[in-house]
Amino acid sequence: MSDDEIKEEYLILEKARKDPRAFGLLYEKHFDKIFNFIYRQTDDEDLTADLCSQTFLLALNNLEKYEFRGVPFSAWLYRIASNEVNKHYRKEKQTKVFSIEEGKVRELFGQANEEWDEELIQRLLQYLKDLPTEMLEVLELRFFEDKDFKEIAFILNITESGAKMRTYRALDRLRKSFNLRIKYDGKE
Amino acid sequence: MMSSGRIAQHRNYGEIMARHERDVKIKRIVKAFMYFLLIAFIILLFMIVRSVQSKKDTPTNSGKAKTTSLVITSPKGETS
Repeated sequence: MSDDEIKEEYLILEKARKDPRAFGLLYEKHFDKIFNFIYRQTDDEDLTADLCSQTFLLALNNLEKYEFRGVPFSAWLYRIASNEVNKHYRKEKQTKVFSIEEGKVRELFGQANEEWDEELIQRLLQYLKDLPTEMLEVLELRFFEDKDFKEIAFILNITESGAKMRTYRALDRLRKSFNLRIKYDGKE
Repeated sequence: MMSSGRIAQHRNYGEIMARHERDVKIKRIVKAFMYFLLIAFIILLFMIVRSVQSKKDTPTNSGKAKTTSLVITSPKGETS
């Protein structure tokens, strides 16, 4: 996100503080992404719709408390969404679900155009499913949502170095377990 | 990932605005009630302090001389 876009969003926020109807622009802009972000962690359309509405309602109700911390406004929405999802799972005492898209997995390993061994894909998907939640959360935000480490740290309420460490650890485990070449940050 | 068309079915900013307005109203009512409670508490405190003060200011009977009245009754029931 460019500085101009961040500035533009901030102006809308200032306006929304006085008139909540102005928040509609940000709602329209971020709804799909937040919806998909929640859907990947619930795999339930109705539940996602509820949590998504709750996320935007909380954002609107707490607009006064929002302060710019060097990350786009969307990071704040992701943070609220992530908290709402966690709250739901704590309340229901269920295990968190992560739905992983095959296409994204192919992208992640930079081999989208190569022919994939189906067995390997299935093993990889199973492996990703078995990864600890904290690692999967970081991988999801880094590769599926294209967030940088600063944003990931803000969303998950951890330090930037913590976010980097979790990502590298998860990728290292994948490299070792599958003997894969993973292109990441220009390195292999 | 879900398609935009399907996600659009769940998009309803009007509902968010209505819920927001309701929340704002509830917040205002709670705030007014809290102020009312605070003012009531202050008034109650003031009244307690005043009543304690007035009790302190009224002279007590301890300084007066004690008097005893004696009633003598005759066996016939007449008193003298």
